[in-house]
Amino acid sequence: MKQKVQTYSKMIFQLIRRIHTSPAYKAAESSLLAKLRKKTGYTIANCKKALEMHNNDADKAETWLHEQAQAMGWAKATKLAGRTALQGLVAVKFDKNHGALVELNCETDFVAKNDKFQKMIEDAAIASFKFAHTKLQAKGPITKMELDSEQLGTLHAEGGKKLSEILALFIGSVGENAVLRRAECWKANSEDVKIAGYTHPAPSSSSDYSSGKYGALLAYKQPNDVEDIGRQLCQHIVGCAPTKIGDKEKDKPAKNSDDETCLIFQEYLLDPSYTIEEILQKHNVEIIDYVRFSCGEVPESCMPGVEKQPLETVQTLQ
Amino acid sequence: MASITFVKSLVSPAVKLVLKQSQCANVRNTTVLSGLTPLSIILKRHYAEKQIFERTKPHCNVGTIGHVDHGKTTLTAAITKVLSDLNLAQKKGYADIDNAPEEKARGITINVAHVEYQTEQRHYGHTDCPGHADYIKNMITGTAQMDGAILVVAATDGVMPQTREHLLLAKQIGIQHVVVFINKVDAADEEMVELVEMEIRELMTEMGYDGDKIPVIKGSALCALEGKSPEIGADAITKLLKEVDTFIPTPIRELEKPFLMPVESVHSIPGRGTVITGRLYRGVLKKGTDCEIVGHGKTMKTTVTGVEMFHKTLEEAQAGDQLGALVRSIKREQIKRGMVMAKPGTAKAHDNLEAAVYILSKEEGGRSKPFTSYIQLQMFSMTWDCASQVTIPEKEMVMPGEDATLKLKLLKPMVCETGQRFTLRLGDITLGTGVITKINNNLSEEERSKLMEGKKAREKAAAKK
Repeated sequence: MKQKVQTYSKMIFQLIRRIHTSPAYKAAESSLLAKLRKKTGYTIANCKKALEMHNNDADKAETWLHEQAQAMGWAKATKLAGRTALQGLVAVKFDKNHGALVELNCETDFVAKNDKFQKMIEDAAIASFKFAHTKLQAKGPITKMELDSEQLGTLHAEGGKKLSEILALFIGSVGENAVLRRAECWKANSEDVKIAGYTHPAPSSSSDYSSGKYGALLAYKQPNDVEDIGRQLCQHIVGCAPTKIGDKEKDKPAKNSDDETCLIFQEYLLDPSYTIEEILQKHNVEIIDYVRFSCGEVPESCMPGVEKQPLETVQTLQ
Repeated sequence: MASITFVKSLVSPAVKLVLKQSQCANVRNTTVLSGLTPLSIILKRHYAEKQIFERTKPHCNVGTIGHVDHGKTTLTAAITKVLSDLNLAQKKGYADIDNAPEEKARGITINVAHVEYQTEQRHYGHTDCPGHADYIKNMITGTAQMDGAILVVAATDGVMPQTREHLLLAKQIGIQHVVVFINKVDAADEEMVELVEMEIRELMTEMGYDGDKIPVIKGSALCALEGKSPEIGADAITKLLKEVDTFIPTPIRELEKPFLMPVESVHSIPGRGTVITGRLYRGVLKKGTDCEIVGHGKTMKTTVTGVEMFHKTLEEAQAGDQLGALVRSIKREQIKRGMVMAKPGTAKAHDNLEAAVYILSKEEGGRSKPFTSYIQLQMFSMTWDCASQVTIPEKEMVMPGEDATLKLKLLKPMVCETGQRFTLRLGDITLGTGVITKINNNLSEEERSKLMEGKKAREKAAAKK
């Protein structure tokens, strides 16, 4: 269906191109094209098509472009869907009782540094954060909900658009595959359970939202009268990547402290003279649960969407 | 003019035997070729299928940067195709270049595709990496320091949001010369191409390049590859290479720089004086040259009264030579390994540096844990090593497998210059490797004494404020 539309529009494009070839038109057209491109930021080919379809009426062309953007984004997204996207960012948003950890992938780390990408992942993080506020039912000390890429796509961002729609627009604009990989939404159900988050590299000023290559969420209990070390513990989890919290009775510390995978036996990152266990005792903290995302760590075979991709849409040569 | 094999045959009897049996003819051949210019060095390796690399042209490293779909790889393939028609390159297919194999350079895994080709003027090494981090690793390890870049932009899309990030990278890895290739003009018309050119010049100016003077070439790499419409195909590629030849300057060779030799060891020879040995790092060293010996907090001026190699006196030693230098009126005790002998005024000792560093991942032999500011690491560079205090200005910690800007404060001033490479070690583990990017003013006495302070003292001082 989309293929048909494309070939059809190409025909129109070529037809009109033949009509407009006199040099007198050129200068005026060129500046119009330049203006439209600058104003909207859509690809040059699309801007030109829009102008030609609307007899150089800039306003009409612009509205048409905005209307078409979603469809074009979807078209591009389907076209690129098979390509590996393992770069990207992990973002975290949290308050005292709620937390959301989101991973968004793209193909190259250049795109991950772009403002548009950062905006996109912020939207996704805020949407998941809201989801944690509204949809999660109370059960146990914390409620956890894991979202895969399809579920994440159906969440609504601010302004009412679905995340998957925003993602398609983004793909249309950067021309690279991008995937909303996964999200983790948490809600603490009792007053004494706190939630903290951390991403690396961390922003210079600590805030409730940040994004980076690695991220972690932590749920813990700590009395209010001692210094809050949630953020520091989160930083340790991001840095030392423990595989489990560990139980003092069942687990034994590893011989080499660098190979330690149990959180409680690890050396504390910010002061290696203590272990985490000692730090927890000192600050009267009880760790309930944690989750850690490292960007691009999901093996390709487990990626949702890859196997669904029909072979003819997988691109090889440009 | 002697080929390497000739030297080898002198050194190793085993090689000599092999040469006698099968390769004698070759040795004779190379010695006959005495009519070549002094610049041309013939490297010969007697592996059955290996070709001979002839160094007759200056070498230059370039690379392509741009959006994944704008045809970087197609352009590289097209360049090799056009040049292979002139017998200046080996034709490479799209698939040969595109796979960007994981390469292990100095123990670090980099995704990079290397292609070589030559024009009439120069020989080129061409680098293409998929990501920002790979270019950074490339710069830090020095596997293929890029002297210039070709920015590829498709005429159909124009400047993309991430083109800005591509140019930022170029700035970050110190590329001052960028040539632009507008690709896919076969799928666009003239005014679109004009508009793309305008946009790119504007962006380049905004990013601090001289946007008006940057060469912009329009063509279609695909046409060149398929041998269609030569005016936008092969001709455009030829034009592009011409611009690359002229716009990107040839890097200064090590031989032409002022001489510098890190001191490896010092001997006292009765009746002759003090001899410093080491490998000449760059430049040319002659008997009678004035020199300066710098390092370990000292600077001494003296004169080289003799240059020797393998117990034979030498008129002139060149970069790469392992030599002994006889110096006037300096005692053996005054010189230590790690000092540097250089042309007066060219080498200075510093102790306050900024560097781009790549921290090895666990798989590459590094540590599994990240580190935070104020860690003490041993810094190794040239023949010296020195304890240094590391601070991380931009992050709270550095993870293994990550690159970062680090500030290094040395306990003693040592000879450093921008572009110098070094290794950071902790105990028996190599933690990372880096390149010095900036040299700050030397530490004051007070700052130096602070280096030795422990964490508690730092916290106390911070609390006082």
